[in-house]
Amino acid sequence: MQLERSFYSRASMYSFIVVMILILLMWIGTGQFSHIDIMLFGYLIASFVFAIGITVRMVSWSLRPATRQMLKRSFSNLKNKERKKRNVTSVLKTAVDNIVLQKFIFKRGIYRGVAHWLLAWGCIGSFAITFGLTFGWMHFSLVDPETYQMVVMGIPTITMHADGIFAELVYNGLNITAMMVFIGVLMAIIRRKTNQDVQVTQRPEFDLLPLYILMAVTVTGLVLTLSYKFMNGWMHNYLALIHQVTVVLFLVYFPFGKLFHLPIRPMAAGVPMNYQEEAGVDTRGCAKCGTPYSSDDQIEDVKGILGVQNFDLQMADGTYLSDYCPACRRRMRVMKQLNLEHQHENPYAPIQTMTDVQVPGFSTGRSDSYYKEAEGDEKL
Amino acid sequence: MTEFIAKPGVKNLKHEGEKLITTHCSYCGMQCGMHIRVSEKTGKIKGVEPRYDWPVTLGKLCPKGVTAYQQIDHPDRIKRPLIKKKGRFVESSWEEALSLIEKKFTELQDKHGKDSLSVFGGVSMTNEKCYLVGKYARVALGTRFLDYNGRFCMSSAAGGFMKTFGMDRGSTLPWTELEHSDCFLIAGSNTAECHPTSIQMFWKARDKGAKMIVVDPRETPTARIADVHLDLLPGTDSALANGLLHLLIKEDFVDKEYVENRCNNFEELKASVEPFTPEYTSQLTGVDKNKIIKAARIYGSSPRSVVMFARGVEQQSKGVDNVTLYTSLALLRGQIGKFASGVATFTGQGNGQGGREHGQKSDLLPGYRKITDPEAVKYISGVWGIDPEEMPKAGVSAFEMFDEIHKGTIRAMHVVCSNPAVSAPDAEYVWEAFKKLDFLVVNDFFLSETAEFADVVLPTTTWAEDEGTTTNLEGRVIRIRKSIEPLHESKTDWQIFKEIAARLGKGKHFDYSSPREIFEEFRLATKGGKADYSGITYERIDKEDGVFWPCPSEDHPGTPTVFKETFATPNGKANLPAVSWQEPDETPSEEFPIRLTTGRVVFHYLSGNQTRRIDFLMEQCPVPFAEMHPELASRYNMQDGEKIRVTTPRSTMELEVRLTKATRNDIIFVPYHWGKELAVNKLTNAALDPTSRMPEFKVCAARIEKLEQKAGH
Amino acid sequence: MNKIMYLEFERCIGCRACQAACRECGDHDAKERNYVEHVDFMESRQTFPMMCMQCKDPACARVCPANAIQITEEGVVLSASEEKCIGCRNCTFGCPFGIPKFDFEQNKMYKCDMCYDRSKHDIAPMCASVCPSDAIRFIDFDEMQSLRRRRTQMNLVEGKKPTEQDKWKYVPEFFGVYSD
Repeated sequence: MQLERSFYSRASMYSFIVVMILILLMWIGTGQFSHIDIMLFGYLIASFVFAIGITVRMVSWSLRPATRQMLKRSFSNLKNKERKKRNVTSVLKTAVDNIVLQKFIFKRGIYRGVAHWLLAWGCIGSFAITFGLTFGWMHFSLVDPETYQMVVMGIPTITMHADGIFAELVYNGLNITAMMVFIGVLMAIIRRKTNQDVQVTQRPEFDLLPLYILMAVTVTGLVLTLSYKFMNGWMHNYLALIHQVTVVLFLVYFPFGKLFHLPIRPMAAGVPMNYQEEAGVDTRGCAKCGTPYSSDDQIEDVKGILGVQNFDLQMADGTYLSDYCPACRRRMRVMKQLNLEHQHENPYAPIQTMTDVQVPGFSTGRSDSYYKEAEGDEKL
Repeated sequence: MTEFIAKPGVKNLKHEGEKLITTHCSYCGMQCGMHIRVSEKTGKIKGVEPRYDWPVTLGKLCPKGVTAYQQIDHPDRIKRPLIKKKGRFVESSWEEALSLIEKKFTELQDKHGKDSLSVFGGVSMTNEKCYLVGKYARVALGTRFLDYNGRFCMSSAAGGFMKTFGMDRGSTLPWTELEHSDCFLIAGSNTAECHPTSIQMFWKARDKGAKMIVVDPRETPTARIADVHLDLLPGTDSALANGLLHLLIKEDFVDKEYVENRCNNFEELKASVEPFTPEYTSQLTGVDKNKIIKAARIYGSSPRSVVMFARGVEQQSKGVDNVTLYTSLALLRGQIGKFASGVATFTGQGNGQGGREHGQKSDLLPGYRKITDPEAVKYISGVWGIDPEEMPKAGVSAFEMFDEIHKGTIRAMHVVCSNPAVSAPDAEYVWEAFKKLDFLVVNDFFLSETAEFADVVLPTTTWAEDEGTTTNLEGRVIRIRKSIEPLHESKTDWQIFKEIAARLGKGKHFDYSSPREIFEEFRLATKGGKADYSGITYERIDKEDGVFWPCPSEDHPGTPTVFKETFATPNGKANLPAVSWQEPDETPSEEFPIRLTTGRVVFHYLSGNQTRRIDFLMEQCPVPFAEMHPELASRYNMQDGEKIRVTTPRSTMELEVRLTKATRNDIIFVPYHWGKELAVNKLTNAALDPTSRMPEFKVCAARIEKLEQKAGH
Repeated sequence: MNKIMYLEFERCIGCRACQAACRECGDHDAKERNYVEHVDFMESRQTFPMMCMQCKDPACARVCPANAIQITEEGVVLSASEEKCIGCRNCTFGCPFGIPKFDFEQNKMYKCDMCYDRSKHDIAPMCASVCPSDAIRFIDFDEMQSLRRRRTQMNLVEGKKPTEQDKWKYVPEFFGVYSD
C-alpha cells in the first residue's frame, strides 16, 4: 500500500489517521473551535494520548498471527451474503449476552457479575460523557431561562426543563456512572483482597493497580461534586486539579494495562460467526476416533496459525495433530512413548504387558547372576 | 499438646487463617499420614494437606484419602438420634433414644436371658473404641454373642498366622523395608486399587531391579508389570501354593538350616506337596506349567523375598490353609525375621490389625488372650473389676450370629461401625435376619443400609472428631487427632457405651472422661498378652513415628521386625502345614457354569457407606459392573456396556458388562461396595472356613444371561 | 526454583488420586485440570496421567487470538486470563498434548498451572504430592536429567535432540517447567 510506506509503521499510520479524524470531528462539534472549554484542556491532551495508545495497541495486537487470522475470517464472513443470517445473529447475540448483559460473568458468580457489570457500564458511560464534552461533540446551550438544549456535533437536539428530572439525570450523568464504578471497584477490591483462590495467580501491578486508579478517579470526581453541591465549592479548584490528574493518569494507563480487554471483547462475536454456530455443538470428526470435536474452518485456521509460526506438528502420514481430538492426541503421545503403536506379532494377543522385558519406566534390570544360578532350563 | 507435627525442613503449604492438624486417613490399613486443614476462625474443615514426612506413605494418598475430609461436614450426616416409629425414622432426643434402648435391652434380657442381646463390632475405628466394644458387650450387656466384621476381612490371615507362628501380626517386617527386597510374591491382592499407597515401595524396589510374581485371576495393574503373572482360577490357591512348595523342595531352594532350626513338620509338608507336580498344579489351577516353574525359580533364587497376600486367598472356605501354605513359602526360604524379607497380609480396614487384638472377637480378650484360658479371664476380670464368673463364655462368629437370629436365640443386636447389610455374604439371608430381630440399634454417622433396618440409630462422630490410636497394617501403633468438635448432636462411640452402661447399672466400669483414660486401661489390659501395648504412650507415638507392638515396657523400643529369634509357638518353632487339595465349596455345574469372584475398586471403601457419598468418587464409579473377557462375552453374544443378569443358587441381579482382555476368560468379577439391589453379596456363598469362620466371598458358581431387549429400543 | 514435573506413564495405576487432588488446589475451583485415561481398557489396564508440559513457547498461547494465555516469570503457563478469553477454543486444538479444558457455561478455558500457589513456594503440586505410584513426580532438575538419560538409552529417540517446535514427537516427560 502506497500510503503505508509514508509512515514508519502501520501503527503510526493509523494513529495519524485517528488523530486527524478526531481533530476534524472536534472542528465540526465545536463550531470551528468556537466552543472549546479551556478548562478541559488537560483532558483533551490525555484523550489524544489515549486514542493514540489504543490505536497502537490495537494494530500490534491485530498483527499477531492468531488475531489476524481470526479478524481475516470474520471480515470475509461478514462480506459473505450467504452467511448474512448467521452473521447478524452472531453479532446481536454476542452484543446482548456477552457485552450488554455479560451473562458469562454472572455464571462465574452473581457477586462477580454485579461487580463487573457496574464497573464496565460505569466506565463506558463515563467515557461517553467525558469524550463528548472534551472533544466538544456535545454541549448544552441555554435557550431561555427555563430551558436547556443539548447540542450534539453542532446540531441542536432535545430541549429540557432546567429543573426537570431528565435534566437532573443529564447533569448528574457522570455522577451516576461514577457511583456505578465506585461500587463495582469496591466489590472487586474486596474480592481480590479476601478470596484466597484469586490471590494464587493475581499480580498486584496488573490486577490491582487499575482498580486503584479507577478508585482514585471516581473518589476525586465524587468529592468534586460534593464540594460544589454541598460545600459551596470548597477547595474546588484544587479538587478539580486533583481529579484532572487522576483522569489523565487513567486515560494514559488504559491502553497499556488490564483494561485494554474492553476494546478487544467484541471479537467474541467471531466465535459463533466463524467457528461454532451453537455453543458446544461440533461438526468436524476426529481423524482417528471420529468423535466430533471442532469445525473445519477452525482447524484450518489453527493449522495455518501454527504453520506461520514454525510449529511442525505434522505426522508421518501427512495429518496434523490438530486433526485429532484432544483425547486421541493425548493417547497418541502416550502410545508412542510406551512403544505401543506398532502391531504385535500376534494380533489376537493382549497388548504386551512388558512381561519378560524391563519396563522402561523403571530402571534397568538386574543381571541374572545377582540371583543364584537356577538349575535347569534358563530359557523358561 | 502440639497438633501439627512436621520434621525440620519439610515444607507444607499453610494458608493464612488456617491450622494443620496432623492425623491419618480414615480408610484402609495403610493409615496414610495427612494433615487436615481447619479454619482458625470458624473451626470448619477446609481440606487436606499431604504429610510428606510420614515415613510409611510419604504424603501419598489415594483418591479416597484425598477426599476423606469431605465426609466430616457432609450434608448426609445424621444430626440427632433417630427412632423408628410406624416404619419411619423420627428425630428424637438422646434421652428418649437411650431410655428406649435401656427399656428394650432390660425387657429382652429379663425375658430371654442375657444372651438374647448381641453386639456386632467393626474395626474402622480406634483401638480405644474397639477395646470398649468388647468390654461393653461382656460387662455392660453381659452377653456372649459378640463378634465383628473382621470375620469378613482378616480372620483367615489371623487364623493362619496363629497356626503357623503362634502370633498374629499382619506383617513380620515394617513397610519401609519393602523397597530393599529382591522379590515379591503377591497373591490375591489387587494392591494398586486396594492399597494404592503401598505401590510406591514396590515400584521403588522394581527400580532397583526387584522381581515380581503376582497371583491373581485378573491382570491387575500390579500383574501388568509383573515378571510372572500366575492367572489362576479363583479358589485354587492352595493347589498353586502346594505346587510352588513342591518345586522349591524339588529344585533345592530350601534353606535347610533355617527349616531345621526353626520349623516343625517339614517331612509332613514334603510328603503332602509331593503330588503337586507342575503338570498336576497346572491342571488344577489353570495356570500354564512353565509359568509356575518360572515363578518358583525366581522366587526360590531371590536372596530377600516377601510373600504377601490379601482377601483373594483369605476369603475362601479354605482361607486358613491358603495362608499357612503361602506363609510356608517364606519359611522354606528362611525369610522370616530378616531384613527386607518376610510375610505380610494387606490389612483391609483402618484398624483391622489393632481392632482384632483387643477382644471384639467372639473368643478373644484384650491383648490377644483366649477367652477359653482361665488365666486370661482372671487377669482381664481383674482389670475390668468384675468377678471372673461373670465373664461370658465364647460366642459364635459374625456370620453365625445371623443363624442364631434365625434360630431365635439372639433377639436384639447393637451394630457399631459396620454395615453387614452390604458386607455380609448371602445378603438376603442377612436382611431377613435383621427384619426378624426384636430390636436393632445402629451407631453410624451416615444412614447405612444396616441402619435402615434399625429401630434406633445413634449419631456418632467421624474419625476426625475424636482422639485415639490405631494400628496400621505393619503393626505400628499411630495417633488419630481430633480436628474439630463433634458436629450436630453426635457423640463418640465410647460416650454412647458409657451412657448405655450407666443406664444398665454398670456405670462404674465405664467411668471415662477421655480416650486417653481408655488407652491407659487398655495398656494395662494388654500387658503380658501376645499383643502387648503396655509400653506405648501417646507421647512416644508422636516422638517415634509410631511404635510397633509388642512393646512390653516404656523403655522397650517396640518390635518392627518380629520373629527374629523364635516364633511364638510353644516350642518356638513355626508349624509347617500339610494340606491336601480341596475344591472350593461351590464349583461350576451345568446350571451355574462359570465362576463369580468379587472384590473392590479403588474409588470405594468396603460397604461404600462413606465413599458413595463423596462426589468425586461417585463420578468415577457410580454403579457396580460385571467385568469379563470378550471371549466369554462372545459366547453369550454380549456387548460392552450391555445389561446382563447374573444368577447364583442364592439370588440374581442385573449388571452392566465391562469387557477387557486383562482377565481370565472363564470368570466374571463384580465389585461389592453397593447395597440393596446393587449388592453382589446377594449372590455370594456363605460357606465358612472351618477355623477362621470366614465366608467364601471370592468364589461361587454363577450363570449369566443376556437381558431381553425391550421393544422399541 | 529449579524443580521439574516428570511423568512416567508405565508407573500409573489408574487410581486418579491426582485428579481428586487437583480439585483441592487453590484457584482450581474444584475442577481437575489433569487427565487419567486408559490406553485401551479392552486390551489392558494400562492407564496414563497427562498434564500440561508447561512449554517454553506454548502452541496454545500462539494460537490464542486474544493473547489471553500468559506465562509467569517462573515459566508456568497459566489458564487463559478470564478478562481476555473470548472462548474460541483455539488453544484446545492447537495444543499438541490435548491439555486445555473448556467450560462452556462460564465461557473460559482452564488448564494445569502446576498448583501455582504451591510450586511458587517450591512445594510439590498436589498431583505429584499424592501420586502413590510416583508416575507424577516433582523433582530436581539434575534428577530429571539422570532419569532422562537412562530413559533415552532405552528409548527410540536416542541421539536426537528435541526442540521447542518438534518436541511433541518425543516423549513428553522430557519437559517440564523450570528447566535450565
